[in-house]
Amino acid sequence: MAYTVNRNVKLTFWERIYLPEIIRGMYITSRHFFINLFGFVPYFLGQKKEREIFTVYYPEEMVKYPVAYRGRPVLALNENNIPNCVACGLCEAACPAYCIDIDPAENTGKQNEVERWPKEFTIDYAVCIFCGNCEEACPEEAIFMSDDCEISMLDRSKMKYNLEQLLVPIDQLKDRVEFTRKMYAKWNY
Amino acid sequence: MFVDFLITLVKILFILGVTVGFFAPVLTWVERKQSAIMQDRIGANRADILGFTAFGLFHIIADALKMFTKEDFIPRGANKVLHTLSPIVALIPALITFAVIPFGGIYTLFGKEVNLVISDLDVGLLFIFAVASIATYGYVIAGWSSNNNWSLLGSIRVAAQMISYEVTMGLTIIGVLMVYGTMRLTEIGAIQEDFWMWGIFLQPLGFFLFFAASIAENKRIPFDAPEAESELVAGYFTEYSGLKFGMFFMAEFVEMVTIGAIVTLLFFGGWHLPFVTMDGILSMFDFLGETGSNIVALLIHVGVFFAKVSFFIFFQMIVRWTLPRFRYDQIMKLGWKILLPLSLANILITGAVILALE
Repeated sequence: MAYTVNRNVKLTFWERIYLPEIIRGMYITSRHFFINLFGFVPYFLGQKKEREIFTVYYPEEMVKYPVAYRGRPVLALNENNIPNCVACGLCEAACPAYCIDIDPAENTGKQNEVERWPKEFTIDYAVCIFCGNCEEACPEEAIFMSDDCEISMLDRSKMKYNLEQLLVPIDQLKDRVEFTRKMYAKWNY
Repeated sequence: MFVDFLITLVKILFILGVTVGFFAPVLTWVERKQSAIMQDRIGANRADILGFTAFGLFHIIADALKMFTKEDFIPRGANKVLHTLSPIVALIPALITFAVIPFGGIYTLFGKEVNLVISDLDVGLLFIFAVASIATYGYVIAGWSSNNNWSLLGSIRVAAQMISYEVTMGLTIIGVLMVYGTMRLTEIGAIQEDFWMWGIFLQPLGFFLFFAASIAENKRIPFDAPEAESELVAGYFTEYSGLKFGMFFMAEFVEMVTIGAIVTLLFFGGWHLPFVTMDGILSMFDFLGETGSNIVALLIHVGVFFAKVSFFIFFQMIVRWTLPRFRYDQIMKLGWKILLPLSLANILITGAVILALE
């Protein structure tokens, strides 16, 4: 939608003498200054949890991300300390960037053992595009997008996470599990 | 004799300590932090010693270390002598002006009269303007000797702007001189012991003109066309690095203190509290004896003076972070077509009023 800027604004006499407008501008900036300055005082005294300035001291303070945020994908570790993953390979197939690499293992007839599990599960975060397709493809609620986005490294090879590094207790992912259930139940595949 | 020498030395060390040792470094921090808080940001807070950031105050030390350790770069084709000389020429006048600025009245300490000014010149006001104008040479030479187009443009702008606004400044001062009838800054300060004799009541228009002109003299926003980082990279000090750049930087901040001091002295009663006379303080603290009450008066007056100076520095900072830069033609138009006629009218009105009152 195009709009035109009126460049021939007629200033009133009050605006043309300039000084009142300067004073008005300075009133606005100094009002901001004093409100923000005295907003610090109850914060430092511990009476208030928030400052008037909403900027966050980043490494010391963290922003709570919304549940729909797609951070790094992680593997869920269920209540019995076993990964939910059954190494079906659907996420590997769904991944558009080919960053997932699964090495499956099967039950060899032993009792009290799960049917199928990933012997090795690798995600290369240097390649991952954080699309969330793996989470969508997963039939077992095993892989989830976490809210962790701090995965910068000095070495590319360190960005390849193996199974131990990927596993996260499912308690920490409760919100995301709820969210995915609600989200993907809506869509009828 | 020796005592006089000692007193002068203490005064010099005090004023140098306050300007170079306190105001110049702290103002670098204040400028960042105040602008940040004004714009709903937090500002400098990363430099820390053992985890303590002290609201970013350690950035002063970090800045100083950075300036000391940087390479001192002289561009090819630059005039080495002038390139090295110009920061000195820019900084020294800003410091010299404090020689004649009184930061307190006359006190009797241990039977000796102490005048809180390093050099009580008859023509103190004139001396300030004479010396402060020399700093312009520093800026012009800096731009010329750098062998850089941006610098040269910046220094040309400095020259034009200084000439334009020096006129307004000088003519505004004439109004003050007509009212007070003296150029001796200590006398101007002493007259303003009476609250209704403050310059702001006698010369309200003069105050605005002087303040605008002095910000323009200091080349700060909104009159920072000589620096104009969006047009001229950094103007006249584009080719400076390390401590030479630091000297330009310091000159700017020391000049801010100078402006604050002169405005306080000429228009806002110098070291006097409103409605409180020197005799009033002396009689109030009479129980401390003559020297004791004088020391109390001295402390109060010096404190009040620097509080007022700090307020005007704060005011300059607000102006700097509120207003956008003038275009070059607007600066010239404002200087020659508005401020100059107004200052002439100010003299005329002042003269007429003085004539009518006689």
